[in-house]
Amino acid sequence: MKRLFTAFVVMAVLCVASTALAEKIVKLGYSLPLTGSHAQYGEVFRNSALMQLESFNKSGKLKGAKVEIDFQDSKSDPKEAINIARKFNDDDEVVGVLGDFTSTVSMAAGRVYAQAGMTQLSQTSSHPDFCKISNCQFRNITTQAFEGPFVVKWATGLGYKKFAIIAIQNDWGISAATNFANALKKDGGEVTSLEYFNPGNRDFRAILTKVMRDKPEALYLCMMYEGGALLLQQKHQLGIDVTSFGTSSLYSPKLIELAGPSADGLYLSTTFMPDSPEPHVVAFVKGYVKRYGSFPNMFAAQAYDAVGIMLAAIAKVGPDVTRKTLRDAVAATKDYPGVTGSTSFDPETREPVKGLARMQVSNGAFQLVN
Amino acid sequence: MDTYFLMQLINGLSVGMIYALIAIGFTLIFGVLNVVNFAHGEMYTIGAFAGLVCINMIHAPLAIIIVAALVAGGLSGIGLERIAFKPFRRFQDEASLKSRAMREATLLSSLAVSIIIKEVIQHFFGAEMQTIPGQYMLNNPIQVGPLSLSSGQFLILGSSILMLGGLQYVLYHTRIGLSIRAISNNPLGAKYVGLSVDKTIISTFAVGSMLGGAAGIMVGLYYGAIFPTMGFTPSIKAFVAMVMGGLSSIPGAVICSLILGVCESLATNYLTQGWSDMVAYSFLIVTLIFFPQGIFGSRRERV
Repeated sequence: MKRLFTAFVVMAVLCVASTALAEKIVKLGYSLPLTGSHAQYGEVFRNSALMQLESFNKSGKLKGAKVEIDFQDSKSDPKEAINIARKFNDDDEVVGVLGDFTSTVSMAAGRVYAQAGMTQLSQTSSHPDFCKISNCQFRNITTQAFEGPFVVKWATGLGYKKFAIIAIQNDWGISAATNFANALKKDGGEVTSLEYFNPGNRDFRAILTKVMRDKPEALYLCMMYEGGALLLQQKHQLGIDVTSFGTSSLYSPKLIELAGPSADGLYLSTTFMPDSPEPHVVAFVKGYVKRYGSFPNMFAAQAYDAVGIMLAAIAKVGPDVTRKTLRDAVAATKDYPGVTGSTSFDPETREPVKGLARMQVSNGAFQLVN
Repeated sequence: MDTYFLMQLINGLSVGMIYALIAIGFTLIFGVLNVVNFAHGEMYTIGAFAGLVCINMIHAPLAIIIVAALVAGGLSGIGLERIAFKPFRRFQDEASLKSRAMREATLLSSLAVSIIIKEVIQHFFGAEMQTIPGQYMLNNPIQVGPLSLSSGQFLILGSSILMLGGLQYVLYHTRIGLSIRAISNNPLGAKYVGLSVDKTIISTFAVGSMLGGAAGIMVGLYYGAIFPTMGFTPSIKAFVAMVMGGLSSIPGAVICSLILGVCESLATNYLTQGWSDMVAYSFLIVTLIFFPQGIFGSRRERV
């Protein structure tokens, strides 16, 4: 009997000791497309997230706990993302969620996260309505409501007033096109035509032939870089010689690789420049190249900062972070020094406040212009 | 008729020819041989990737790259048949050979193979569009009066004609063509008169997939877009063209591909391009309702 009692005591002590020794785990969710038509973006998000997470856990900013990220594949499908959102909501350990990629998917899942008071920080969803879902939605990307007028001002300054807009037909593309069109009309410019194309379309010849009939002075391209590269090539092949402006989503070294000389002359704005001389950008680019063997694009940088903002908020609250305290800490983010510029969240609208850089493609490289 | 419509017509024909290029191999397996095969789009992707690997490794001239795509397509066609179709021909009794369920089970098995191939390619090459060296792109502008054409359009046109003519010759003037038609018509009967069903099916798969592979690399170089899911959209359009053409008719599928391409391109004039996919699918619905034998179909009662 006595021996049994000692055994019990020893076991009890061991149990207590083991829980005390094991570090607390703070869990984050990441809903992102790892397969399907947008898998290439999900891949870079995961790459960046793992990099940011590792350096955070090594840095010891959060004493007594480790952060883990649970990556879930949404296939860029709103239905999948909603399922993932329910799963994260039901998992009491998950305190905050990153993602998803496109506005359509993020907004579908956002309504589910709102029900559980789960912080959702998307690296790329720029639809104007995304942050309006609830006070749990945040984004680390400037919206088209900010970018459209910015490009209009820049373009009209250069003397371009008549634009044809070509945009991808999804929530993001429509908002990019309409924001640009409205700002242009306000500045006294003219939209000669506005054409939407289906995601996944590879042939822009019919659209280009059509918009050129109205003789615009320039094109405004609202699409991802892969579509952009194809469009620019086909524009070159059709012998169409007008200036093009593009949304920041076209900014990727891959655009130039795919489009070659056809990309020359394209104007676009961006938040992330991999050749920036700032030391923390240099460190990020070097680290990314070393680890993954390719240069980080704007999407990699967006995800890197989104994860960084989330982790900084966790570090501020400490290991006992809950969904509620994390939301408040993220909302209070001020001048987070990210690789996409310093980011603050507007206390009212939760919209990010950032600066944009102006660039032009020339001789096969993105160059800063004034 | 100003040059605008002429240019749109050319844009449409060039899209239609791409559908045709895929529809030819697709119709041979799916329609003529009467085997439900949803992995043809992946043969197209494999051809494109095989060509790309060749370009990057040995910088071979275009002709050799197309040959490589042909070989890769053919081999994977044989592999596909072995994995997804042969197991369903295990039972050779009369009931199984006549069973529609046995035949249509390959719908799922070929779909499964197609998903696996896509994921494997994505695992090794990544999901991004691959970079193609500039000198291989088939996108050099060729100016004819006010119209701009491109070198790839001529290559695709030429190969479509060649493939169409070659296949028609094989199907209607050679013994192997006769046995393909016999097996598609009545597999049991063909077996009874001593035809080797297995051999014929395997060789049809090899030929159809070879054509798919060649189509993949040519279209890939024409668009400058080679990526793991590239086969999906065009093979759906090729499927629509095949059904419109009456399933078993290769010339029918080619003509319907061209009609589809031209209609889609002219439709952008009246609709926004976002709606142009609707054109293809409404054609499919109209065909199924009003021409259940397809526009060029004759042999079978119903599509």
